[in-house]
Amino acid sequence: MIRRGERQWMNLTVAVLYAFLLAPVVVVALAALNAGTYLRFPPQGLSFRWFVAFANSRTFTDSLRFSLELATIVTAAATVVGTMAALWVVRFAGRFRTTLRVLMIAPLAVPGILTGIALLIFFYGLGWQKTGLGGLVAGHMLICVPYVFLITTAVLIRFDRTLEEAARNLGAGPFQTFWRVTLPLIKGGIISGAVFAFVTSYDEFNISLLLSGVGSTPLPIELFDYLRFSFDPTAAVAGTISIAMALVVVLITQKLVGLESLYFGGG
Amino acid sequence: MASLQRGHRAAGRHLLIAPALATLVVLFVLPYLNLFMISLLTPSHQAPYLHVFTLENYLGLARDLLTWEVIGRTLWLGAVTTVICLAVSYPLAYHLARASHRLRGVLMIMVISPLLVGVLIRTYGWMILLQDTGLVNQFVNALGLRSLPLMYNTTGILIGLVHVFIPFMVLAIAGTIQSIDPALEFASRSLGAGAWRTFWRVVFPLSMPGVVAGTTLVFVLAISSYVIPSLLGGFTVLTVPLLVVRTVTELFNWPGGSAFAIIFFVVSLVVIWSYLRAMGRASRAVG
Amino acid sequence: MAEIVLQQLTKRFGDTLAVQELTLRLEAGELVALLGPSGCGKTTTLRMVAGFETPTEGRVLLGDRDVTDEPPERRNCGMVFQNYALFPHLTVEQNVAFGLEMRRLGRADVRRRVAEILDRVGLRGLGQRYPRQLSGGQQQRTALARALIINPAVLLLDEPLANLDAKLREEMRFYIRSLQREFSITTLYVTHDQAEALVLADRVAILMHGALEQYDPPEEVYHRPKSAAVAGFIGLTNLLPGRVRTFAGDRLVLDTAAGPIGARGGTALREGDEVLLSLRPEHLEIGDAAAPAAGRNRLRGTVRERTFLGSLIDFRVDVGHDIVLRVQGHVGTKERVGDPVIVSFDAATAWAVPRDGA
Repeated sequence: MIRRGERQWMNLTVAVLYAFLLAPVVVVALAALNAGTYLRFPPQGLSFRWFVAFANSRTFTDSLRFSLELATIVTAAATVVGTMAALWVVRFAGRFRTTLRVLMIAPLAVPGILTGIALLIFFYGLGWQKTGLGGLVAGHMLICVPYVFLITTAVLIRFDRTLEEAARNLGAGPFQTFWRVTLPLIKGGIISGAVFAFVTSYDEFNISLLLSGVGSTPLPIELFDYLRFSFDPTAAVAGTISIAMALVVVLITQKLVGLESLYFGGG
Repeated sequence: MASLQRGHRAAGRHLLIAPALATLVVLFVLPYLNLFMISLLTPSHQAPYLHVFTLENYLGLARDLLTWEVIGRTLWLGAVTTVICLAVSYPLAYHLARASHRLRGVLMIMVISPLLVGVLIRTYGWMILLQDTGLVNQFVNALGLRSLPLMYNTTGILIGLVHVFIPFMVLAIAGTIQSIDPALEFASRSLGAGAWRTFWRVVFPLSMPGVVAGTTLVFVLAISSYVIPSLLGGFTVLTVPLLVVRTVTELFNWPGGSAFAIIFFVVSLVVIWSYLRAMGRASRAVG
Repeated sequence: MAEIVLQQLTKRFGDTLAVQELTLRLEAGELVALLGPSGCGKTTTLRMVAGFETPTEGRVLLGDRDVTDEPPERRNCGMVFQNYALFPHLTVEQNVAFGLEMRRLGRADVRRRVAEILDRVGLRGLGQRYPRQLSGGQQQRTALARALIINPAVLLLDEPLANLDAKLREEMRFYIRSLQREFSITTLYVTHDQAEALVLADRVAILMHGALEQYDPPEEVYHRPKSAAVAGFIGLTNLLPGRVRTFAGDRLVLDTAAGPIGARGGTALREGDEVLLSLRPEHLEIGDAAAPAAGRNRLRGTVRERTFLGSLIDFRVDVGHDIVLRVQGHVGTKERVGDPVIVSFDAATAWAVPRDGA
């Protein structure tokens, strides 16, 4: 409850905080469009030279393509696995429901670095040394499936089961009911989950750090190596791609499912 | 629908969880068990490890002061980050939770977009801002002051960590605040409590579940961060993730790195568990 | 059109017994209301008939088919859900056509029959709309159309009018009844609204705590309830404790705290039985001490409360011995609070029911 004078203080505080939150992102976008190498204020002028530099860089474009490929594969697999798991946990889990929920989210709770190391050592132990794309897919699956699972579960819990009963009553068998009634109505959730998984895989750093190798380097790792030593805004171009992707994903999710399904922590 | 479950290919439906379970077991449970086993083997120069059982990895680390210094520093960074992040995120969460439906949509977009941009890009943004020749210092210089050292040190790391995890904290708390009946705040005000007191005596206590969830989450994420300490700290500040990765990938000491990782894992679990116990007790005291 | 037979239907949820050995038979073409307070097991029973719950014990027969083990899609019942359960992603036409498509009717056939029934229920021209674009009444009729178009053997209605406002509810009541008569479908209608049950049903089955209390036409249930629970649930009544002094067929004389009272009761009552006497307010007459009346029971009392209800006046009369009777008088009744009055009633309208343990 805020009264009018207090409201102004709150609005001011919140505005400053949002500025803080969005500053780095905005700065990266500006740097990518900046004519000069160093971002100065006042800005020196707009230019696309860094975009050109990025497009001309073999390393960057190769790793961009690799990241997109990786993300696509992971998304496809994670969406299927995560949706099936969500269906089971919401409907058929019985007394195992809480345990399975915790288990499905567990990979998100442990440090990515540790998971990456554990996988690296594990694969080596299995005799698989040049893990390449396969190893990265495996690692990314671990953190992408939980996102699909979380979003799809939220949608399934809200789903009105009487619609399925009505369909059964009218003569539809269990599979027909799922195909014609359930799926069309939850597909918004599934798509949001998929899109989230895509971006998660695309942005993933910690696990990729340990599992990437020659010829299989996702863009974030490439950028990291670059940023440790150089500083020109070619890297910022990669940033703007990520920013654009993030905005698209958020808008899609808001449209299809409503971002409030992402509240976690009760309430 | 009880009857729809019984007798209708009951076993078949349990196949739905099979792929996820397989993924978890094969790619999560087994590797971590393996990690634990490796931590009990002997390191070597010719191979990643020798199949010789030893407790020396753990003992050596426990004896080494550096181990505890790094763990302590990491936990300290995590704690400070969490507190500052809470202070910064709470107003945002409150504002979001009490916003009108339409405004909330916009705010959610602003809160979640940074999350999806990725840690690396956001850290890069901070590098541009915090460098000695970065935007912040250009501003500081313009005021006639000397450049502030905001990067390649703990300050830079803290700024980066707090910033990166704001969306998590906001999302964790906003949900809980939204479920607090606004009428309670009106009641408190009508009984004579000002805005601050209403906040401390009514809103904050009721939002505790979200606060606990958010602080736990942010703490865990902060102590696990690699990108931020490395880029914004320039490897001058050693945290556990940095040390573990270095041990494994540069020193090729897999058993040592694993042991260190597991020690850290256990220590963090103890810290978090104690925290949650204390929170649980506190919330029971409040009733 | 088929009969519905429930044999010893029982449903247990963990430790709770929701439905106890329910045996019921609906004749072909009749509308039976399954009436009872919330939690009495009526919806559970309906769901067992539809196939969404499996009975713990007992059988369900539709026509002469034992469908107890059949899945819902093979039972050929039309069901109207309390929240209508209209598919939000399908238009009205697609919703109504759904059942026919499951039965693999040709597209031309489906289109024709959908148009027919939409016309029938007054939804002509609304076929392309989505459920969220319809009013409550229109959604209701869509749900009805969807259930009826498949020519079900049996129609199941789960509190279909609960979500409508009072006026619409009354209209729809008659509408459903006339549709049901027109299609001549055996119908099981679940409701907690007794006025609805009395108006619509050929017979009323009263369920309390999972057990069948009474199964009779509405007038029987109203005038001759079988138990105190039913008497208390249906309509307004005064319940007076008493004991059977004498009985002859269905005529009784009871000993009550207010003196002997002539009444009627079920033929199972015997001398010495503890009973509750059900006196409906509309059967009690209130008059001043001087008015005579022959062959009627008379109780002396004082008016304690008087409430104007519009078409009636509601009195509370203290007749002594801790008994306060609720009496309804027509608008001209001039008695006021504090007046001494005589409450009189015909023995034929006083009905005795066994006093339950509860």
